[in-house]
Amino acid sequence: MLHDHIIAQLLAQNKEWAQVVENTDPGFFERSAQGQEPKVLWIGCSDSRVPESVITASMPGVIFTHRNIANQCHHADDNINSVLEYAVGTLKIPHIVVVGHSKCGGVAHAWATAHDEHPHRFFANWGDLIPFVKAGSALERWLAPLTAIARAQPDLSVEELGIANVRAQVLGVIKSKVVKKAWEEDQELWIHGWEYDLATGHLRDLGIAFGPEGEVAETV
Amino acid sequence: MFYDHVLASLLANNKQWAADVQKAEPGFFEQCTKGQAPKVLWIGCADSRVPESVVTASRPGDIFVHRNIANQIHPDDDSALAVLTYAVEHLGVTHVVIVGHTQCGGAAACHAAAQSPPSPSAPDTPLGRWLAPLTDLAREGKMGPEELVEANVRAQVRNVVETAVMQGAWEKGRDVWVHGWVYEIEKGELRDLGVSVGRGDGEVVV
Repeated sequence: MLHDHIIAQLLAQNKEWAQVVENTDPGFFERSAQGQEPKVLWIGCSDSRVPESVITASMPGVIFTHRNIANQCHHADDNINSVLEYAVGTLKIPHIVVVGHSKCGGVAHAWATAHDEHPHRFFANWGDLIPFVKAGSALERWLAPLTAIARAQPDLSVEELGIANVRAQVLGVIKSKVVKKAWEEDQELWIHGWEYDLATGHLRDLGIAFGPEGEVAETV
Repeated sequence: MFYDHVLASLLANNKQWAADVQKAEPGFFEQCTKGQAPKVLWIGCADSRVPESVVTASRPGDIFVHRNIANQIHPDDDSALAVLTYAVEHLGVTHVVIVGHTQCGGAAACHAAAQSPPSPSAPDTPLGRWLAPLTDLAREGKMGPEELVEANVRAQVRNVVETAVMQGAWEKGRDVWVHGWVYEIEKGELRDLGVSVGRGDGEVVV
């Protein structure tokens, strides 16, 4: 059947949701259509368990969002760099949060590759169809920098690698042309590293933060 | 101020949300730690007004997500291809939905750029390069900005269909579909464009 119940369900849920919103906050959508003024750019993982607006109870319009495998910021990636250009250059968003999470499949694959281990033990209960990354694939290329981090710090556990990854991606963001230019032009812009713990549903500020003056020693 | 109330309120909202979930469904987070089995990959726009799980009232675990400027799938973009690969080959999603939206800033910029003759030199910024195919699409047909949003979704459906990931999945007999939707910001409503492609559709003109 062309549209099995999943698709029909999503569309039906959307209609119901739209009605509830309009009833609760009449004119919400009309106002939304005037424009967006998000104050946060979220760079997170594609993982289905980390939907930024649900876990922060945010309405549409609050968080500008880029999600990819293992929340990466690669230097020469036009995809994320165009997001940064639009978010910082056009929307003048003042806060970028790079958000990693526990039990990240991308991190697990990179760790396993770096340790010459078969990743199977990480995915035995995860329902993944194939527990390995095909050689020569876009996914292998995509995970190469993260695998390099794992190789460079072999003593890190998988979860510690996840945290190191967040820090590395924050550094990637601050080295981007867009961010450097924004700071040169005295634009209000801070970059933060956060972690989402699947076990508790809690977001945690990792205390990694950079602003125009450099790394910020303390948060809040 | 470096750590202004916006971030503090996100973190506070999160704590409250987690407490509410824990109360309403005590085993939910533990279940999440066991793995993910989403049936849907959403390729949408980074636009803050189109958070997939909110507009579809979905739970964590339902939808695997890639959001970029103007919901693009470029054939040579490792970021999107890695997401598609992981979603289809590792997680076994059964539906890939490309979701464009009205009031898309990226599409509007391309529509505007298409009103002038093309520049002799190639774009030299990431955003310029990223939106070059969409600008070309805008030039091809004389269409308004909202028609471009729809044409864009159709083009991205074609791009996904043509990937080795999708072709390979179909060759293996996988029952996976590609759909094109438009989210209408003015109403908060998703609209299926009716351009779905599945296994066995062969040469599909979208």
